[in-house]
Amino acid sequence: MSRLTAGWRIQRRVVSALMLRELVTRFGRENIGFLWIMAEPLLFAMLVGLLWRFMKGPEEHGVSVIAFVATGYIPLTLFRQSLQRSVKVFSVNGSLLYHRQIQVLDFILVRFLVEMVGAMMAYFFIAVLLITVGEFPVPANLGIFLVGWFYYAWFTLALVLCLAPLSEKSEILEKLVPLTTYIAIPFSGTFNMMSWLTPPAQAVLWYSPFVHAMEMMRDGIFGNRVDAEWGLTVPTAACLSLTLLGLILCQRIRRHLVIE
Amino acid sequence: MIICDEITKCYPMGAGRKHVLRGLNLAIGKGQRIGFLGRNGAGKTTMIKLIGGVELPTSGKITRQMTVSWPLGFGGGFQGSLTGYDNARFIARIYGHDYRELKDFVEDFSELGAQLKMPVKTYSSGMRARLAFALSLAIEFDCYLIDEVIMVGDHNFYEKCHYELFEKRRDRSLIFASHSADLVREFCNGAAIIHEGKATMYEDVGQALERYNQL
Repeated sequence: MSRLTAGWRIQRRVVSALMLRELVTRFGRENIGFLWIMAEPLLFAMLVGLLWRFMKGPEEHGVSVIAFVATGYIPLTLFRQSLQRSVKVFSVNGSLLYHRQIQVLDFILVRFLVEMVGAMMAYFFIAVLLITVGEFPVPANLGIFLVGWFYYAWFTLALVLCLAPLSEKSEILEKLVPLTTYIAIPFSGTFNMMSWLTPPAQAVLWYSPFVHAMEMMRDGIFGNRVDAEWGLTVPTAACLSLTLLGLILCQRIRRHLVIE
Repeated sequence: MIICDEITKCYPMGAGRKHVLRGLNLAIGKGQRIGFLGRNGAGKTTMIKLIGGVELPTSGKITRQMTVSWPLGFGGGFQGSLTGYDNARFIARIYGHDYRELKDFVEDFSELGAQLKMPVKTYSSGMRARLAFALSLAIEFDCYLIDEVIMVGDHNFYEKCHYELFEKRRDRSLIFASHSADLVREFCNGAAIIHEGKATMYEDVGQALERYNQL
């Protein structure tokens, strides 16, 4: 038991040290520093939101276009950025494995956490900003929103746990990541509610964990202004099995890592 | 005590595999200062990386019953884009040490002065060696893993290392990979010859060097 708590203490120490290091190496200490972590999702959501606002008018299906784009784009950038940054994460950070208390899983966790904290800050910031100008509803049910966010983040992490070790094995995978994350957009629930789609499309998207998570988040934000459709079985099953697979893959790749 | 039990290590080579270590057994006790001798490519560096836990053996088990430093003398352990101070801060954090204490020791031992505010990638190999030694001595390990390539410092650095490692820390263990008969004779009280994927221990350094010269 004491060994377990000692191990837990070391891992917490390592993760926080790695987080600080990641923030300093990526964003530096100049000007706004680590606040840059929310710059990308924030700019993406705001600019795409404005673009859509001019293309489609102020409202669609009874909800504000800007708010709808913001609720879709911020999770989407979390997913895309996390995947892109997890490619070859072990060989890039290899020199850190000189310190035995640092585990390969720490690399994945740290990069993911940095992205997630950035996305959450961006979400909070944009929501407050839009609520004050009346373009965003006061969240109807923060609990459901957070459950949705949790599932979206968990599924992203599970994907990253698989992609990181696989990208060490295959060069082609690295080239395919941007394409795949783009193709995945229709299956991520970013631009539509399930209820706006045809029944055959709904039947397919029901198997996407991202869609469930996104519907939950929008349920929590827009309440009864949208018809959210979600369940817990599909996302839980998908997240659990992919996480397990990812952990096994990480464990196996560690043995084969060659470090200069 | 460090016990290496039936260690094998293979690396992928083209379509096949290269066997570097084939069932190597070795035990290093507290206070033993062992020189690793072997031809180029015999597996000295691989062995140090395995003992340090940087890479994992293909099969076999390594048991560490004392604290072991990270391998000194290789590229790893530092982040080149960060300054010497940032690296020190990072090391202090992950080893749970007080940064101010560590900083004082590093400044004093490394004598790098303002250079510590520069990214480590701008350091010469001698300066890197100073920083690496300073950090690992500040953390205090029971066993130090050292590759000969780190002994690139000037005379003053050499004297300091000698004092810190072989006088103040006489009781510590040491694993030292080297080709230099002089250094092994000076630093070690035992030697292991790594040849054809196996290790042979010699209590007598002179005898080991004699055998090594016949390889």
